[in-house]
Amino acid sequence: MSPSRGGRLSDADRRALAVVMDRLVPPVDELPGAGEMGLASEVEQRARRHRPLRSALITVMDALSMDMAAHAAGGFRALSEEQQVDSLRQVEAAVPEQFAYFMQLVYTIYYMQPEVHERIGWPGGAVQPDGFDVEPFDESILETARQREPFWRRV
Amino acid sequence: MTEGRGNDRTADVLIIGAGASGAAVAWSLSRSELNIVCLEQGRWTNPANYVTNNDDWEYRGLTDWAFDPNVRGRPEDYPVNDRNSPISPLMFNAVGGSTIHWTAHSPRMHPSDFKVKTLDGVADDWPLSYEDLEPFYDLNDEMMGCAGINGDPANPPRSPRQMPPLGLGEDGKKLAAGFDKLGWHWWPSDNYVNSVPYGGREACNYCGPNGLGCTLKAKASTDVTYWPIAIDNGVRLRTRCRVREITVDSDGRATGATYFDRNGKERHQSARMVVIAANGIGTPRLLLLSRSDAHPDGLANSSGLVGKNLMFHPYAIVTGVFPEGNEMETWKGPLGNIFMSQEFYESDPKRDFVRGYSYQIVRSSGPAWLARGGFADAIPWGEGHHEEFARQFGKTMALAVIGEDLPELHNEVVLDPDLVDGAGIPAPRVNYTLSVNSRSMLDDGIANGRRVFEAAGAVDVLANPLLRSGGWHLMGTAKMGLDPDASVVNEWGQAHDADNLFIVDGSIFVTAGGVNPTPTIQALALRTAEHIAQRLGAGRSGDTNGDEE
Repeated sequence: MSPSRGGRLSDADRRALAVVMDRLVPPVDELPGAGEMGLASEVEQRARRHRPLRSALITVMDALSMDMAAHAAGGFRALSEEQQVDSLRQVEAAVPEQFAYFMQLVYTIYYMQPEVHERIGWPGGAVQPDGFDVEPFDESILETARQREPFWRRV
Repeated sequence: MTEGRGNDRTADVLIIGAGASGAAVAWSLSRSELNIVCLEQGRWTNPANYVTNNDDWEYRGLTDWAFDPNVRGRPEDYPVNDRNSPISPLMFNAVGGSTIHWTAHSPRMHPSDFKVKTLDGVADDWPLSYEDLEPFYDLNDEMMGCAGINGDPANPPRSPRQMPPLGLGEDGKKLAAGFDKLGWHWWPSDNYVNSVPYGGREACNYCGPNGLGCTLKAKASTDVTYWPIAIDNGVRLRTRCRVREITVDSDGRATGATYFDRNGKERHQSARMVVIAANGIGTPRLLLLSRSDAHPDGLANSSGLVGKNLMFHPYAIVTGVFPEGNEMETWKGPLGNIFMSQEFYESDPKRDFVRGYSYQIVRSSGPAWLARGGFADAIPWGEGHHEEFARQFGKTMALAVIGEDLPELHNEVVLDPDLVDGAGIPAPRVNYTLSVNSRSMLDDGIANGRRVFEAAGAVDVLANPLLRSGGWHLMGTAKMGLDPDASVVNEWGQAHDADNLFIVDGSIFVTAGGVNPTPTIQALALRTAEHIAQRLGAGRSGDTNGDEE
């Protein structure tokens, strides 16, 4: 992996990114992990649109490429799952702010997916124009609060 | 929309900034025959295009609609060097300013907030009282449209609100029961969010993330309240105009402003009077940029206090997780417009800090927002991620502890020696340290917040001791006072050093109170506008934004 060259990901980097995403958001129930869901390309595209996110993605992928264990094994994907998690933990410790921002992007893309919405019970999609139903305010709930004498401090 | 009254080269009044306070001043003065120009570095936003209409609104909230201008990075934003601050300043540059982004939670300061020196021996008293501001609070409520209900025992009685409170939701009711169980104060929030149609705008449909702009215009941002009337009345609002300097004559009086227009061309707008409404960071930045022979240390800075005494409201966040079977769907409803508690607002000698804090009750938002951490830590990645997400999603609420920050000289806004904005103008740098008093206050808020959640039935309570991304409220950097040696502006927001220069944003606050400041900022702006109109001998008409009787 050498993503810092030109600030773009190679095909090998993209395959590694998918595995990274599977480690971050693993499979659950009938859903595969975030990488196996095919979201790596969207992560890359969305990162490309926003400089701080692009920087975070490149920094994390660069840091992973420099991990010695991954080097020795022939790349991040060649590591065992346990080793991949260890490698990610090391990168997280080394570049915490960038890793956190990258992780936020991965989470955001994952939780934008309709199949994820269905699983977690979220109505999903745009919140406008439909909004949600909330009952109008009912004054009777103030019965206890109204018994309090005024206690604001006089000047 | 830049048309307006008259084509005089020299404006009677030049307003810099079209946000919360600039809009209020523009509207108030527009009822006269004055020639008014406003320069705004941002642009108009179109509510119909707000991101909550899109499936990817949570991504947009992370990027080009982020609260932090350093993250958002739009051309109209300027960077803020906040490396020397544990709190990141937040703002939005557009017609409407940060009211595009705010939640429109709209409490008032208390009478005691204006007399902290007299009452508690700290900071300074304001040169005006709650009673002086009260009619302007009322006027602002009418213009913005306030949903709320009378009878709050923590506040003085006040005029009836324009609308009933917003619905509390099942989540709000549950937490209110916790406060009732402890015998602690709570009361439905005053909100500038329509619970019913008002001012020609629709009622809230409880979509949730109104911090990303309100498609329905149910949330009052000044682009949909004050500005349409002000423009109809003839105010000329020029967008994408970034002011570089306020110019002065040999006597040090303001003569106008030099700015870059939307094409990057440098221009000058001359004016008989200048009103700055550029927020508690933008205003001191502009004053410090405006050095001259008459004002060698920056405009209106003979006291040396421009940029000093920066106050945020430091926020701690206490998040309660409710057990299975309490699926409250806490994404339903506007994030921060439920209720507040001021049980611990006033000073109490039994505590190890002076002054106090409010609790603003906040709910949750979409799934990505929660996974990214909401107000607490991000949901951990890897094994256990889904389990922890399921434990929290739709079942968390939070208490935002809004502490009263006290002014300290070393908390400041200065010009950064290296960082510049897109026009090459030096950017502001913030140097800020959280005080021992504020830390103690927030810790008390966290401890009491735990009690509330336990009383309400939460199974877990998470605490964020200081919200880094919580610098919504920017105050104190051009302090108001009667003594020219100890303040920047007088009780009318008029600069001691230049009698035709006024400041109307949060920078003139003497102290911060423990509530969201915008209604107070706008009330002060309306009061200053009345003063300016009287000073200029301008006649007034009386149109307001409310529904006609």
